[in-house]
Amino acid sequence: MFVFDTLSLVFVFLILLGAVPNLFYSFGYLPHIERKAHYLVHYFAFILSMLGVVTAGNALLFLLFWELMSLTSWQLILTEAKEKSTIDAARFYFFMTHFGFVFLLLFFLIVTDGDLEAGFGAMHSVAHAFAYPTLLFFFLILGFLSKAGAVPLHVWLPYAHPAAPSPVSALMSGVMLKVAIYGMFRFLFDVLYPWPMEWGVLILVIGALSSLIGVLYALSEHDIKALLANHSIENIGIILIGFGMGMIFDALQLPLLAGFAFIAALFHTFNHMSFKSLLFMGAGSVLHETHTKNIEKYGGLMKTMPVTALTFLLASVSISALPPTNGFLSEWMIFQSMLGSHAIDNMSLKLAIPFAVFALALTGGLAIACFVKAYGITFLGLHRSANARHAKEVNAAMRTGMLLMAGVVVSLMLFAPAFISLFDRALTGLGHASVYKAIFPEGVWHMHSVGVHGGVVSPVILLAALLLITALLWFGYRALGVKERLHRTWACGYRTGARTQYSATGFAGPIRRFFNWLYRPEEHFVKETLAGHATKFDRSSYDVHVKPLFERSLYAGAAALANRISYWVYRLAHFEQTRYAAMIFNLMLLVLFSYRIFAHQFSWATFALESAVMIISIKVLIIGDKS
Amino acid sequence: MILYLLTLLLLLLVAPILMSFMKALKMWLLFKRPVSLLQGYRDFSKLLAKETLISHEASLVTRTAPFLVLSPLLVALLFLPPAAKGAYYVSFVDAFTLTGLIALSAFFLMLLGLDGASSFGGMGSSREAFIAALVEPAMVLTIFSVSLMAGDLGVGQAGVNLAHHFPKAHMASYLFAAISFFILLIAENGRIPVDNPETHLELTMVHEAMILDITGVYLAIVETAASVKFVIFASLFASLFMPFGLDLPAPAALGVFVLKLFLVAAAVALVEVNTAKLRLFKVPNLLGIAIVFAFLSLITFYVLGA
Repeated sequence: MFVFDTLSLVFVFLILLGAVPNLFYSFGYLPHIERKAHYLVHYFAFILSMLGVVTAGNALLFLLFWELMSLTSWQLILTEAKEKSTIDAARFYFFMTHFGFVFLLLFFLIVTDGDLEAGFGAMHSVAHAFAYPTLLFFFLILGFLSKAGAVPLHVWLPYAHPAAPSPVSALMSGVMLKVAIYGMFRFLFDVLYPWPMEWGVLILVIGALSSLIGVLYALSEHDIKALLANHSIENIGIILIGFGMGMIFDALQLPLLAGFAFIAALFHTFNHMSFKSLLFMGAGSVLHETHTKNIEKYGGLMKTMPVTALTFLLASVSISALPPTNGFLSEWMIFQSMLGSHAIDNMSLKLAIPFAVFALALTGGLAIACFVKAYGITFLGLHRSANARHAKEVNAAMRTGMLLMAGVVVSLMLFAPAFISLFDRALTGLGHASVYKAIFPEGVWHMHSVGVHGGVVSPVILLAALLLITALLWFGYRALGVKERLHRTWACGYRTGARTQYSATGFAGPIRRFFNWLYRPEEHFVKETLAGHATKFDRSSYDVHVKPLFERSLYAGAAALANRISYWVYRLAHFEQTRYAAMIFNLMLLVLFSYRIFAHQFSWATFALESAVMIISIKVLIIGDKS
Repeated sequence: MILYLLTLLLLLLVAPILMSFMKALKMWLLFKRPVSLLQGYRDFSKLLAKETLISHEASLVTRTAPFLVLSPLLVALLFLPPAAKGAYYVSFVDAFTLTGLIALSAFFLMLLGLDGASSFGGMGSSREAFIAALVEPAMVLTIFSVSLMAGDLGVGQAGVNLAHHFPKAHMASYLFAAISFFILLIAENGRIPVDNPETHLELTMVHEAMILDITGVYLAIVETAASVKFVIFASLFASLFMPFGLDLPAPAALGVFVLKLFLVAAAVALVEVNTAKLRLFKVPNLLGIAIVFAFLSLITFYVLGA
């Protein structure tokens, strides 16, 4: 019924690490929620259902808990459904999650061979007898990656996460997306195991695209929670890059490098859980105090909300993958596994992997820019609105939640070897060779790459050196006994004001302009000039809004296509009744031919012949000579 | 160990001189009377004696960020390749960590720019973020390529390996990597085609805009950080792309090393004299060249083995 192998337990651990600080935070947040009973019931059901998903041992239980997880999180988004946008976001989420569910259902219907209570081991043999394993793989990734939020199935994240109450967004982004990663891990290993290299390449490409697209849209975002949601897309992309590298190495019979890459992916999964939860909690605290999600309305919150500001800073440094934080360690591992690619014999693959390196490095650089923007505009400078001026520190329970999560972030950095050994054991449980010894050949202080000329990093020593030198500098400064004087900021002699500060829109300006071909922003520029002078004005406002390209092209396009098809169906329904028989005949032909194509040996000749028969019979019997 | 500490001290001491040297060389080439090489020290001691002015609008960040800008760079200084044979070097830090440390320093510098609530600070931070984001991929790819030729990703070990086995067989990719790294050196240190370190015209500057509101000791610290960053890049260039002279006796080796640093500085100064500062939106083209060269370096290494 249930499985409790190491992989399951690792993810149970992840959920608990994410949920326990969240409970404190949620408890502090509760007084501000109107429908408390509704919230609490779904909140606990949500956490329990996630635990259920990662421990479920057969398809039926897995699907049950998976659906429960989707439905409870959907209800949690609707906790404070006052605005129409929240309801729209919830509807979109509901649609997307069930879009994925359909593919999961198809996957399980095939691999269980009708017996939904069979264990994963039995599924393995059925999956191997199935003629089209790539079809199974596509069902799997469509099902899980639509939940995890990988491109191009990511569009629901920037809507659903901001609409939910903050503890729920922390839980959804920090933990629920990881449950989807668990699903992919579990079924790729347990059911579809010896995979061809192409699957790994596909995952790698999806990961590289997700990471770049996520961070680019995060940069152009002004809504702090949507910004963080876009960063979830980025980080899922980074996890998938690690995972894809692992799959490629595994298919190429390089078990050491494969294990290293899988551990990197798992480590980043944990790291993303920790800092993203912390960031969402921080954003929730700020939102709670200022009652707005717009970054442009914050500013100067560091003075009044020190705990929130400092924990947010820790998480920002970590998500920007700066040393010696945990975010850096996992990204370092992923880079190292990509550098291991020069052990590959396949030349085209060898030449392609630097492009993934490029994508990941560019993502890292843009993430730094994005978090300087998010942190600097939110917490530094002057208050940009009256709401920000009245903000104060949040209550003790919420502070405890944030501090506990900060503790998780720090312990992931300090005790990285322990976590890595845990992930290693999860992999050995799945029948992989152990790589722990190769990563830490000489004690836990130095982390080695397993590649041939790989690098070394030692987080704790690095941290100690940084702290020591900073402390020395600080003591030196104290010892100098410098006099300090407070004065206004010098702004060329003009008064410094909240309105003359750099805004988030302005901060991202150069990057947005550089990527204009992707963003194609809608700009609104209003200027009230004085007495007809083009350069003199007393009020002007510049507003820019970026609508995601994927949503515009792929989703709006799909909706338009569905409309067109439904129009044709409508037209068909109004034929003379004699043609209904012809339609039924054609439908039967289609079913029989499809069955033949899928269930028996596929051959292009019969496929072409049967298509021709179909087309002729449709043309003659249904469409006739009328248009 | 003594040699290691000596190198560190030497690098720290030579850092301000290098900055003054570049300035002096530029002035000399422009038929101006050059500044003294000791100008850096004079500025430093003058700033130390001043009181620090802290902005009303600023928060805790202004008081702590200068230290956090300098300390990652000082840590990075500890991990550079050795300058003389037999010198101790830290072997457990690789090139990624080094770029990470430099990025950490830039992260706090950008926050410092935003903290004063001045629009110039924000402008500087925004531009720095833009440039740094595009530098990152070129940097990683160059590292990737150099590590292949040096046979190790650890910077210390790579420097030693290159000195002992000069990659004659891979000259083409080695040169491409060197070109890419030189462009990155200019971009990361805010030298002329990318940023003008001497101007205080607000519309053109990047680095100076961020520290417009920093005074006294804090300014001394941030300026030291800038010169330390240059020394890090110059000595990386010297050890990785001019890997000779390591086998000489220690004093001579150190002398050659310092000479190489001055050579790099002179090259940068020559580039600065002969080019105009690029418009901000032309900078990506320059960095694009760096990225292309880094890719070329990798591809020639893989495909031609040259």
